[in-house]
Amino acid sequence: MKILTNIAPVTITLAALAVVMMSLPNKAVAQVLVPSGSFHSVMPEVKGEPVGVDSFYLDTTAVTNHQYNEFLQDHEDWQPENVPSIFAYKGYLKSWESTNTDEVVNPDYPVTNVSWYAANAYCQATGGRLPTLNEWEYSAQLMDFNSSMEAAEFADRLMSWYSTVDNENIGSVGSTGIENRHGVKDQFGLIMEWVEDYKPVVADDLSLDCGTVGRMQQLGNAYSYAASIRYITRMSFNPKSTNSTVGFRCAYDVETMEDKKASL
Amino acid sequence: MKKLYLIVILLLTATSLSAQHNHSSDNALHVREVDSEHSLYHLDAEWTNHRGDTVTLDDFKGKPVIVVMFYGNCTEVCPILIQDTWRLYSGVDESVRDEVNVLAVSFDTENDTPEVLHEYAKYEQLDIPDWHFMTSENASVRSLAMMLGVQYSKKSDGHFAHSNLVTVLDGEGKIAKRVEGLNQPMEKAAAVINSIINTNKNK
Repeated sequence: MKILTNIAPVTITLAALAVVMMSLPNKAVAQVLVPSGSFHSVMPEVKGEPVGVDSFYLDTTAVTNHQYNEFLQDHEDWQPENVPSIFAYKGYLKSWESTNTDEVVNPDYPVTNVSWYAANAYCQATGGRLPTLNEWEYSAQLMDFNSSMEAAEFADRLMSWYSTVDNENIGSVGSTGIENRHGVKDQFGLIMEWVEDYKPVVADDLSLDCGTVGRMQQLGNAYSYAASIRYITRMSFNPKSTNSTVGFRCAYDVETMEDKKASL
Repeated sequence: MKKLYLIVILLLTATSLSAQHNHSSDNALHVREVDSEHSLYHLDAEWTNHRGDTVTLDDFKGKPVIVVMFYGNCTEVCPILIQDTWRLYSGVDESVRDEVNVLAVSFDTENDTPEVLHEYAKYEQLDIPDWHFMTSENASVRSLAMMLGVQYSKKSDGHFAHSNLVTVLDGEGKIAKRVEGLNQPMEKAAAVINSIINTNKNK
């Protein structure tokens, strides 16, 4: 018997499409449908009420160095020597020694040191968009555990990962073994990821104090500590931030994806 | 008038955590710090205005621009915000006012089509040559908001919580003046615009 740590009931309206894997032309990334449902956010609009999320497609992995390099070949404006300083700090792609060569270091690693503007532009160029904060968090919570023991162990792993993110040795996408029930990988355990609205609306009044973390912890499920850390970390970002542990993946509206499939 | 003032104060202070449960009053978000050293015209997105024309931001290069972000279904705060923008525009010396362009950008990409924006412009009696009510893809609207430091977030009732901000861009597209909040004095911002026009003339 599966134990769902997600407290809110998940309504699957497009179950038949749930695990449709597909590729975009020229992109090796696979996307999966994340069916609509609801989840308990650590920062709900109304306390105690689940947040509803419509169906959307999400990249199964974070965008890799290899994929980002391909994007740079077609979009010279975003190469480090060309990018306007209004769109990124100097640390943009600083881990890349050169973008003039096809040989990208660690091609299967997620691209990091990218600003929000760069991530947003990449997703727009692929016909997608950055996932919203609620979409990302909802997908991250769609995991199944076989027992409450397993859920507790997972929560422990998360806690230790968030306290010791190793930016020197991130690892390839898909390497964490962590996957939600629809096949979305590495939402924990690899990097932090940009979302469209990375600061929640009430973030101005939040800071990393015990009261805030305490309020967020009240969810009491396997994800709440990790979610609290993410919300608080995101608050320190600004859209030009380029951090060695922050990358992104793209989301797609269902209609956009259906149109793409029809045209293939 | 006193009542209106009270409402404004309420709106401005309603972003505290304790107010998040109150649907009606938590619409005003603070603005964020911005980069005013560099031109916003680096954003090369395409926009559609309420006349159905496709424009890019740098079409307005060389002249001062007033930018305001709003949404059409916002019936309480946004008319005040648009009225504030009008006060700034009409505060510019009449002889040079047609040097100024006003961009009113909607973040409701779902509902505010060019047709809806056209109706809005007519309703507000602002379907005039220097005024451009604009929409674009969501990612472009969000980028512009990030550059201006405008926060917005769609709520479950379809309305948006958002910052109230009027921004003046100089001829190069750099942020020259920001006015945050509703019903703010516009004299200083109007003086900034007059001075941008004068500087441009003397070049």
